[in-house]
Amino acid sequence: MRSTSYQQALQGITRRHFFKQCGIGLGSMALSSLLTDQAAAGSISHDMGLYNGQGQLPAKAKRVIFMFMAGGPSQLELFDYKPALQKYNGQPIPQSYIEGKRFAFMDSFGNDGPPKLLGTVRDFKQHGNSGAWVSECLPHTAGIVDDISFLKTVATEVPNHAPAKIFMNTGSGQFGRPSMGAWVNYGIGSESQNLPGFVVLQSGPRGPRGGQPNWGSGFLPAAHQGVPFRSTGDPILNLSTPETVTDASQRRVIDAVNELNRARLDVTGDGEIAARISSYEMAYRMQSSAPELMDLSKESQSTLDLYGAKVGEPSYAMNCLLARRLVERGVRFIQLYHTNWDHHGGNSENLSNSLDEVCHDVDQGSAALVKDLKQRGLLEDTLVIWGGEFGRTPMGEIRDTVGRNHHIECSTMWMAGGGVKAGYTLGETDELGFSPVDKPVHVHDLQATILHQLGIDHEKLTYRFQGRDFRLTDVAGHVQHDLLV
Amino acid sequence: MYTIPQLRPHRPLFLLAILGGLLPSLVRADDFNNRVKPILSQHCFTCHGPDAKQRKGDLRLDLSPHDGAMTPERFTEVFGDGHKSSLIYQRIATHDVDDRMPPAEKPGLSDSEIATLAAWLDDGAPYEKHWAFVPPAWPDIPQVELNAWVKNDIDRFIVRRLEVEGIKPAPLASPETRLRRVYLDLVGLLPPSVAIEAFTADPSDALYARIVDELLASPHFGERWGRHWLDAARYADSNGYSIDGPREIWPYRDWVIDAVNADKPFDDFVVEQLAGDLLPEATRAQRVATGFHRNTMINQEGGIDKEEFRIEGVVDRVNTTGAVFLGLTLGCAKCHDHKYDPVYQDEYYKLFAFYNNDDEIDLDLPSEEQASRIAVLKKEIAGITPERDVYRAEAIQGKLEAWLAAQPEEVVKNWGLKEQAAQRMARTEWTDEQERLIQKRFLQLDETYREFEARIQAIRGKLPNVPQTMVLRKRSEARESHLFEQGDFTRLGEKVLPGTPAVLHAYDGPEFGNRLDLARWIVDRENPLTARVTVNRYWQHLFGRGLVETENDFGYQGALPSHPDLLDYLANQFIARGWSTKQAVREMVLSATYQQSSHHRDDLDVVDPRNYLLARQNRVRLDAEIIRDVTLAASGKLNATIGGPGVYPPQPDGVMKLGQRNRPWDASQGGDRFRRGMYTFYWRATPHPALAVFDAPDAMVACTRRSRSNTPLQALTLLNDAAFVEQAQAFGTRLAEAPMETDDDRIRYAIQLSLNRTPSDHEMTILRELIADARKQGGSGGAAEWVHVARTLFNLDEFITRE
Repeated sequence: MRSTSYQQALQGITRRHFFKQCGIGLGSMALSSLLTDQAAAGSISHDMGLYNGQGQLPAKAKRVIFMFMAGGPSQLELFDYKPALQKYNGQPIPQSYIEGKRFAFMDSFGNDGPPKLLGTVRDFKQHGNSGAWVSECLPHTAGIVDDISFLKTVATEVPNHAPAKIFMNTGSGQFGRPSMGAWVNYGIGSESQNLPGFVVLQSGPRGPRGGQPNWGSGFLPAAHQGVPFRSTGDPILNLSTPETVTDASQRRVIDAVNELNRARLDVTGDGEIAARISSYEMAYRMQSSAPELMDLSKESQSTLDLYGAKVGEPSYAMNCLLARRLVERGVRFIQLYHTNWDHHGGNSENLSNSLDEVCHDVDQGSAALVKDLKQRGLLEDTLVIWGGEFGRTPMGEIRDTVGRNHHIECSTMWMAGGGVKAGYTLGETDELGFSPVDKPVHVHDLQATILHQLGIDHEKLTYRFQGRDFRLTDVAGHVQHDLLV
Repeated sequence: MYTIPQLRPHRPLFLLAILGGLLPSLVRADDFNNRVKPILSQHCFTCHGPDAKQRKGDLRLDLSPHDGAMTPERFTEVFGDGHKSSLIYQRIATHDVDDRMPPAEKPGLSDSEIATLAAWLDDGAPYEKHWAFVPPAWPDIPQVELNAWVKNDIDRFIVRRLEVEGIKPAPLASPETRLRRVYLDLVGLLPPSVAIEAFTADPSDALYARIVDELLASPHFGERWGRHWLDAARYADSNGYSIDGPREIWPYRDWVIDAVNADKPFDDFVVEQLAGDLLPEATRAQRVATGFHRNTMINQEGGIDKEEFRIEGVVDRVNTTGAVFLGLTLGCAKCHDHKYDPVYQDEYYKLFAFYNNDDEIDLDLPSEEQASRIAVLKKEIAGITPERDVYRAEAIQGKLEAWLAAQPEEVVKNWGLKEQAAQRMARTEWTDEQERLIQKRFLQLDETYREFEARIQAIRGKLPNVPQTMVLRKRSEARESHLFEQGDFTRLGEKVLPGTPAVLHAYDGPEFGNRLDLARWIVDRENPLTARVTVNRYWQHLFGRGLVETENDFGYQGALPSHPDLLDYLANQFIARGWSTKQAVREMVLSATYQQSSHHRDDLDVVDPRNYLLARQNRVRLDAEIIRDVTLAASGKLNATIGGPGVYPPQPDGVMKLGQRNRPWDASQGGDRFRRGMYTFYWRATPHPALAVFDAPDAMVACTRRSRSNTPLQALTLLNDAAFVEQAQAFGTRLAEAPMETDDDRIRYAIQLSLNRTPSDHEMTILRELIADARKQGGSGGAAEWVHVARTLFNLDEFITRE
């Protein structure tokens, strides 16, 4: 086939120019300048990361699926069972807990004295051999507790949605830093020749707050940014050949483009042109691989039922199934956003039917993904993460109904697969669920742990920008070895 | 596959190898700056540098020990008498892992680095001020052998260096390439056929210079170079963060375009943007200019602490000031003393204090016509209000109580309990609130009063929609500024007054200085940084990389200039020519260095693979906006209108769903559909994908250098995006309808319009085959094969590259 021989010829050219242009032969100094040079980094082929596919540490996980519950799920309604909080329901929280602390919506705790504690009305039970507590809200999740581990003490630093999401994704509350998926692809590259290395899927009534910077590449080359896949229309923007163009003529145009580009490469000797030819070949492959990804006709009815997904209906469950398909196709980092976890109280944000709704949206799909990965042997090297940007307060927040405010000191997340223990709980909160009493896990610790499982030392994966070596974990982060197998 | 010899990426030392290792004869006298300090900075300053809190062993290596900072005894102990007796040498050279510096967990020193330090210690450890903190001196213009090649003084600096290396500069690029290059670089548009014909017929320096002058005088110069500035200004049309509401600040964008076109001296350009409102008798335009620092993001999320995000904005202003004007990473000093540069935390907050006394307001910008219309209408309203007010006073006084009494009880019951109660009371007993509620009801229902109101409303409805822009205004009541412990705004540290970093030229403004005083300090001729940083960025725009590669870090950790004398020459020239941007750019593009071929040269692979020495030009992919512009130029559809509110070229459905709020995107129709890329309305949370995919800055913080990626998504955009397809169709139609006889003529025409050159035989063959295949495949309409050609050309690397 014509394009194959082009590919071979091109790889030769790319390599030759890469060596020559980028001075690989000159040793480490040239290499480090290459790696920090954005223009040159653009010409690194898509599948080659900083570490050239080889992590520094032995990798337990090859890929990550991060199920991001945007808005901040209430750990106190779902996982962090606090009988004392129920006992003291309606009592003012002791001042010592909240002295000098910052919350969002400071004024909505009510005006008369310290905010009042709010015990959950949800029914909690222990599940599985591990005896993990899960509430009635998440029956399917309750069924997989022996395959997952809970982190009860995840703490962040910023109490507002957009900065906190950015913090979880980039390790900084400031906009403009690279996101975790971008760092990972920058560090160890992608295994997929046909799909982007970082894919973002969304469900729920709106996009997550903060938008693109949540999956942006910041100062890293744009090739590493997350690519949002859409569940209707083209899965990737501009994926389809225009209506006025047939597939054959699209291929013909790409061939002509490549031929002319090659002619210009011969004249100018600029390796950037070789990289551009590779980009066009990958774009062409994506035109068939992405629709193939989205085509669920080969999935069995029992699989669809496991997830609760219906063909033709975009949903979180569908996105979970797509996440498994992405994993099978070598995509390195997949993020699923589901919005509307912001239960302050009030009509559409209450802790009763609004919470039920969003739990129902995600419960079956999340659990099905873990089960499906496990039965296909993919769970052991796929790290699955479930959680939001922060937790919620033990105190009630008074709106039209009583809900809970944003809480940065602890939230519950769960992780599975990828070298993480199964049926384990890391950390513990106090009797009111306000602060950690054992093993606090800062977001930077979580990030360090995720990178560690991928074989990356979080202190070594750095990028020089504006005179400083930046990293995902800023100047902090400890790998949570207790959590790991 | 080759092996990666080193995993940890750190700062590029390559240049240092060129300057320090290979070419000692060319290193300027300041060996300390070029050879020693980079080692100290990289390996030692974290613990033995400016940051007092991190300093170990009471040893500080970033300051000269020679000016009384150290006792003679301590000096001898630390620096020794000859390297062997020096504590420094003993600690870096020891084999004892516990004693060895840097500590084991840090990257160690190489043997050659240790040797360099030893030689320096033997020399008595001379210190010199950091090169960038010494004001630029006028260098001698170098004498060169290759006089015939030289077109102006810039070339002498470049060629001198090449001659020492034994490298010949590249030949001039072809006339077509030079013309396309200078058009794209100066105005961001393609040269018209007539210019190509003229210049290929007479590729003389004289004609080239005339073309350059025409382009500098073109109003599109202000667009192209204004857009460079807008990157640094973090300009966008929305507020950012999660809500990302729209904002109106395009008049600032237009001010930038006008200022660049007028070649406003750069010092005035800076002063007006930082403090135009504080100038004596500030004009409206000068107030609009202060939009520069209103381009900070605004968080409209519910439940936030407004003061926190106001401070975020001020912090951004300080950091932007550092990156854009001073080329310093001031942001590092927000939380602690800078780890490398002599910038201290309290100095950060002194700069902060300059920016901490402003209100963020909107400025109405009526046109003259609108202003007079508004005056007329307001006068009309003023003609009605006194009569209305008299009527109201009399009616309330005379009728109110009786009127309420006459209202049916069931009606009043619906109004509310307070009104109901009032009905059973005398007016004298009403509370103030009852009085207010009842007056309101009465006026709502009173026919005569409603008539007055209707007349006023009708006039108000005629008031024109006046554009606004966001500006700064000095606060009447000054805020007190404090250092924030570890950058946390809830932890107030010592009080600070406005001031500037002591390492730079002195600040001699008033004690309670304002933005104007800061602006004047920035453009003070004594400032060693502003002119250098600015001309370096001009160089970067024209060569793809600055003479100082780290264009926003001229500090200790930044790269050294590849041509320090040239940088100083350009900086001094810039000031001497009255801070004229156009003259600075003119000199650069008239140089032979600029006009060289950008073709790869095998002979440079070993000596200068990254082309620091500029023995050729660089091929540079076009900026995102310009990629749009060149398709519009080639298709003939370009609407070259300058300025005005942002526009909405088509974009794929669903893009706006990616943000928290679904913002509308109704694609512009008519002429606005074909405006230049820089006018595309920029939503920070959901930027137009064709801009984002080609690395347009995200406008979160100042962008002083764009990255240039090369991705499959770019290919999909050029191949399939509706806007590019629309332009390709227009281009194809333009080709099909061109009054030409043969296919070959049309192919040549197509290449001339898009690549602005004549095709090779090989290229002709490729396109002939494409056309033949397209005709075999058939297609819609007579122009189908030419649309194929158009799409092919729009997707070429060369089309979106300035060679």
